[in-house]
This record gives sequence, C-alpha cells and structure tokens, in this order.
Amino acid sequence: MTIYLAVPLLAAVAILQSTIVSHFRIWGVFADLPLLVVISWGLLRGSREGLVWGFVAGVAVDLFSGAPFGAATFGLMAVGALSGLGQSTVFRSQLVWPLIAVLLATIVYDLVFMLVVSISGYTVSWLDSLVYRVAPSAALNAVLTPVVFVIMRWLNARFGREEMEW
Amino acid sequence: MSRKRLQSLVPVALIALALLGFVLHRAGLLQPIQGLVVRVAAPIQEGISGLSTRLGELAQTARDLRELRQRNQELEAQNAALLLDNVRLREIETEAALLRDLLNFTQPNPSYGIQGARVVGRTIAQEPSNLQSYITLDVGRAAGIERNMPVVTNRGLVGRISEVGETWSRVLLIIDPQSTVNGLTQSTRASGAVQGQADGSLIMRSIPQADTVSVGDTVFTSGLGGNFPRQILIGQIVEVERKDYELYQSAIVQPTVDFQHLEIVLIITDFEPLQETEPGGQAP
Repeated sequence: MTIYLAVPLLAAVAILQSTIVSHFRIWGVFADLPLLVVISWGLLRGSREGLVWGFVAGVAVDLFSGAPFGAATFGLMAVGALSGLGQSTVFRSQLVWPLIAVLLATIVYDLVFMLVVSISGYTVSWLDSLVYRVAPSAALNAVLTPVVFVIMRWLNARFGREEMEW
Repeated sequence: MSRKRLQSLVPVALIALALLGFVLHRAGLLQPIQGLVVRVAAPIQEGISGLSTRLGELAQTARDLRELRQRNQELEAQNAALLLDNVRLREIETEAALLRDLLNFTQPNPSYGIQGARVVGRTIAQEPSNLQSYITLDVGRAAGIERNMPVVTNRGLVGRISEVGETWSRVLLIIDPQSTVNGLTQSTRASGAVQGQADGSLIMRSIPQADTVSVGDTVFTSGLGGNFPRQILIGQIVEVERKDYELYQSAIVQPTVDFQHLEIVLIITDFEPLQETEPGGQAP
C-alpha cells in the first residue's frame, strides 16, 4: 500500500476514533483503533512500515486530540516499530501473537503518551492511570485485536504486496 | 543518494519531524495548522458524531423495544391472570347472589330442613318420547335425598324428586305434563289442580265455577293431598278459561320460576308426603 493510501486511511481511523469509538466505553475505557491498526500493520509489514504508519496515525490523532502534540505520535511510532519486530511468516496466520503484542504495545503506548504529557508540563497520575486506564484499555484492545487484525491482513493481501513507495 | 540509503533515513526523518512538531507545539506555533485541520475535519466529525449519536439512539430504541416487548408480555400474562380472577370472582358473585336469593326462602321458612343442590343437567321440553321436563341435581341418597321431596327456589316451586341415585337425583318439574300440584289462588282462595303443559306453562284445572279467578292473581301450593308444603309460590294467572256449560273453569298460570336458568335449588328434606305418588301419577 502506498503512503498515499495510508494517509487517508489513518486519518479516517483517527476521525472514527474521535467521533464514534470514544462513545463506546467498556470497563470505563474505550478501544484505541489507531493503535490496533498500527500494531497490526507493523506485525504484518515490519518495523519500518510500522514506524511510518505510527507516525501518520500519531500526527492525525494528535491533530484531532487536545493532548500535547507528539504524545500519540511518539507512542504510535514506538509501538509500530516494536510490533514490526514480531513480523514473521510463522506468526502471520496466528492470532495469539497479535493478542500478546497488543497487550504489551498498549502499555508501551500509554507509557510513552504519559511521558510526553508529563514532559509537556502536565501532572500525570502514573499509578492510577496504569491501574484504572492502561490495564483495562490493554484488555479491551486485546479483545478487539482479532477483528482489526483480520481486516488489516485482508488489506495487506489486497494492497500491501508492493513495498511502500515514497 | 541511493534509494536504499534514502529509505534508511526515513525513521530518523520521522523522529525528527515528530520532535519538531512537539517543539513547535510547545512554542505555540502549531496552532494555525491544528486550527486548519480542525476546521477542515469539523464537518466530517460532526457528521460522523451525529450519525453515531443517531445509531446510539437507534440501539437504545431497540433496547427499549426489547424491554417494552418483555414488559408487554409480562403485562399480558398479568392481564390474563386478572381476567381469570375476574371471571372467577364474577362467578362467585353470581353464586353469592343466588345463595342470597335462596336465603330469602329459607329465612321465612325456618322450620324446613333444607339441602342445597346444584343443577348439573337439564332436559326441558327436549326429551323425544314424552316431552319430559326434568333437571338433574348433584346430590342423592348419600346426602339424604329421597323420592318426592319438594324442590324449590326463592322464586317458588320447582318440582319434586322423581328419581334418586347415590350421588345424584332427578327432579320432575312442575311444568312437565305429568306433574300435578294442588294450588290455591291467593286473593280468592280458589283451589284447583295445577298441571304442566307441553309449552312450559301451567294450567290450573278443576276450579269450581262458583269460585272467582282473576288474571294477575298468584297461585300457591294448597298443601291439600300432602304432597307439597303449603304456601309455596307456583305462579301467576295470565288467562282464565271459563265456559258456562262446564262444571269447572281453568286458568293459565305463568310459573314464577325460570326453569331455563336454574343453577342452584333447595330440596326440602324434612317434609314427608302423606302418600307417595309415582312421577307420572296424579296427586290426590
């Protein structure tokens, strides 16, 4: 998939996140669709494309959110690149690895996010956030992973054969 | 610069861009870009938010509908139960009214031994051979019922027991052509034999020509012959037939008892007829 298709897709995902997904709270949190998309793509396409998708998705999320710019961008770039480390043909057909990856990546993403927010001068309640936001969020994202991963796998099969063009 | 080298610089460039964005944001220089993005995306976000809200409302409506359906089912079940209760209570009320009416007979006649009985079957003017008119009661020998016991309601004389089983009995109604009861008019004390007719009315025969009989007069049992107690209402005279050349006059009597709608009757158990008569026999 070219970057020209990734940008509108991730922008749409960011808009969906800020409009629809945030309305459906479960366990006090809502799913993080851009995060799931970036992780899935990283797992399917490797660290380099994961990093790029993380950057594009992060910029889109940052522009639509009230958080300091960079919080989502750095977080998603980090999980995109890290999830790409798990790219393997062995794991592509299985859903266990994406589940574990999402659990871990959610924690990494939220930690990076809170770090950037903290650096920006805002007060962050680390422990409470980890217990009451990050943990349930990781569980919810893991639950939704199969759906998103299957869609992304289909997209990859349909559009992602070629290397990303710049 | 080769393509591969360019690609290796991409991560560095992206991190640099992110850092630049972060710094610009901190410096407040990113606001115009953010404002522009928000302005462009706002209509889309509003549209999607509106759609999302409507979908949410639709989902809520579906949930409400499901709850309302369930509530409706519960209410329908409750309604059915209440209807049954209502029917049962109406039956009880009707029965209570009947019993209250019957009490109107027993109170002025405290000397009678009374056994209540429910009508469980009736054949009135339907029996093919001889147009018998009788009802079947749910009490019999086991309850002390015997043949020829008078059967009454608060509205008057019904008939007498003609047949008795262990747990049932049959009543020959006074409207049966085989039934004859000695009667007496209330105002003139004219006596006669009240006999059933095929059309369900009664005819009072053998009234002496010298006696005065008038329409509207009520007829009671006379007690003569000893088959029925005295002073039990039979009916009201609706027509008088008098022919000068005959020895007796007769009168058509409309029974006061509604034989078609009998439900509960009273059997006078302690009245002993002077002489037992066959159901088809003439009372003395």
